[in-house]
Parts: sequence; C-alpha cells; structure tokens
Amino acid sequence: MAFIKKTATPIHCTEHDERHTERDFADLVAELGAENETARRWAVRDLTPLPDASQPLVARLAYEESASVRAAILNALAQIGDHAAIAGLIHCLRSEDAGLRNEAIEVLKAIPQHVEPVIHTLLNDSDSDVRIFAVNILESLRHKDVEKWLIEVIEKDPHINVCATAVDLLSEVGTERALPALKQLKIRFEDDPYICFTTDLALKRIEDGSQ
Amino acid sequence: MKHILVIDDAATVRLYHRGILENAGYSVDEAINGIEALEKALVKPYDLFIVDVNMPKLDGYGFLKEFRRQDDALQSPAIMVTTEASGSDKQLGYMSGANLYITKPIKPNELVNYARLLLGETL
Repeated sequence: MAFIKKTATPIHCTEHDERHTERDFADLVAELGAENETARRWAVRDLTPLPDASQPLVARLAYEESASVRAAILNALAQIGDHAAIAGLIHCLRSEDAGLRNEAIEVLKAIPQHVEPVIHTLLNDSDSDVRIFAVNILESLRHKDVEKWLIEVIEKDPHINVCATAVDLLSEVGTERALPALKQLKIRFEDDPYICFTTDLALKRIEDGSQ
Repeated sequence: MKHILVIDDAATVRLYHRGILENAGYSVDEAINGIEALEKALVKPYDLFIVDVNMPKLDGYGFLKEFRRQDDALQSPAIMVTTEASGSDKQLGYMSGANLYITKPIKPNELVNYARLLLGETL
C-alpha cells in the first residue's frame, strides 16, 4: 500500500494547512470526507500520485461544495489522466451545476491528448448540450481532424445550437474545404436568422482568407 | 440612450446581439465572461444585461449572483440567452437573478421586444 512521506511537501504550508498524520490510501480516501476544507484539499493533493486515486476523487467531486477543493480535484484528475479520471471529467459535462460544467470544459481543454480518443464519441452524444461542450473543447484540440469533425457536425447534427457552435469555430479554423457544408447548412436552417448570420460571417472570413 | 451589456464568450454571438440592439437604438458594450462583466458594470451603469450561461472563469449564473450581491441598488434587469433548455436550468437562472430566460436561437425581433419589455418601453 502506498505511503506518503511528510517531508515531501512542495508548497508552502501555513500553521493551519499542515498534515497532522502520515496516511495511507484508505486514510486519504476517508479524509476526502473531512469536515475541514483544508484537510480535504490535502487529501486530494496526497492522493493524486497514488494508483487508483481517480475513482475516489470522482466520487467526491459529485458532492464537493467547496470551490477550492473542487478545483483541486479537477486539476488532480487532469494530472492523472487515466480512463477513470477522464470519464469523471466528462461526466461533469452532464452536471446540473453550470460552474462545474464550465470548470470541467476548461480542464478538458487543457489536456487535449487525453480528450482526443473520446472526442468523436462526445460529438455523437445523445445530449445536445454535451455535443455543444464537445465542440467547445475542440477549440483547443489543435488536432489535424478538427475541421473534418466540425464539417461532420454541421452536415449531420440535427440540433441548431450544436451547428451554430460548430460554425462559430469553423469561422476561425475553417478552410475552403468547409465552404460546401456551410452553404448547405444555411439552406437547411434558412429560416433561422442567427444561423444565416454566423454562416455568412464564416463564409466571408474563409473566402477572404483564401484570397 | 439606454446602455446594454452583452456578456457571451462567443464573439459571433456578441456581434449578432450587438447588431440587433444597436439597430434598435441602444448603446451596446460587450464582455467575454462574468469577470469582465463585473468589472465593466462597476464603472458604468447599465440598463440591461444580456447574459450567456456557459462561459469560462465566471458563468452567467455566477455573474448575476455576484452582481446582485455586490449592491442591492444595482437592480438592472437581465436576460439569460442560452442553449440550456431544461427546467432546472431555467429555475437556476431565475434564482440567480435573471428576469427572463430565453433559449437560443433567438430572433432579432424577439430580442428587441424582450429588451423593450424589461426596459419599460412601449412595444
């Protein structure tokens, strides 16, 4: 069982922000439920390098109310980056808590190497909000297929807001390859003023950029 | 002239709302998230806020809660315009201090009519 050395503390500790005991994995998991916020934050920090830390951290995230502890857990999950950690971060996209959703999006944007394998699944999720968040995450992915995925979204996704979000990003990263799909989208949603507005903008930016 | 602050992380959405509201005769400023909106609202009084929900750093709910908490006198109305359509999202919007909660996409005449309604102007 893993063991944490008290001396391995890379950050400054205040009098009230110190470990009181040396703890093993089970102790740290128990400490995630401590009443004291600082104790919970320490538990997150000390759990992070240990094997199998993701699952208890994800479990705690579901009902952690402290913003600082929540941020610590999200950052820990991003740092761990294993299957359970990424699944936990993605699960946050379905949260009723807008703050948690946005924090998860920002964390996922920062770890494109871990998101890349699951992005296609997210873009085809049954929940349109999750698909919108997936498009938001694409913004930072810097992957060679980003444009291709965005084109697929505006060609196939039935939800107007998912398409609108994809067009916004295409206007920044799109090339001439996106022009036919953008023109087709404008026809598909010809009665919607926002789609017409944003599509015209994207078409103009791409066409101007290609000249 | 009435001043409106449009708060959205998507530049295209801000441009769209700005165009509609300026055509209707309003002065419009923009903020890219709740933090920037709070900073702008502290130095300039706005008559109306158009607020997105999902934004980095501080989302729309957080902005409204913080804004309402900072000064009870700052009671300018706010319209949340968002892709979030569930009942719980709307409830959260109203609890945060939104006066209206509208689901995207929004048509230009709808936005102007809602703005006029909340500004107490004749439709």
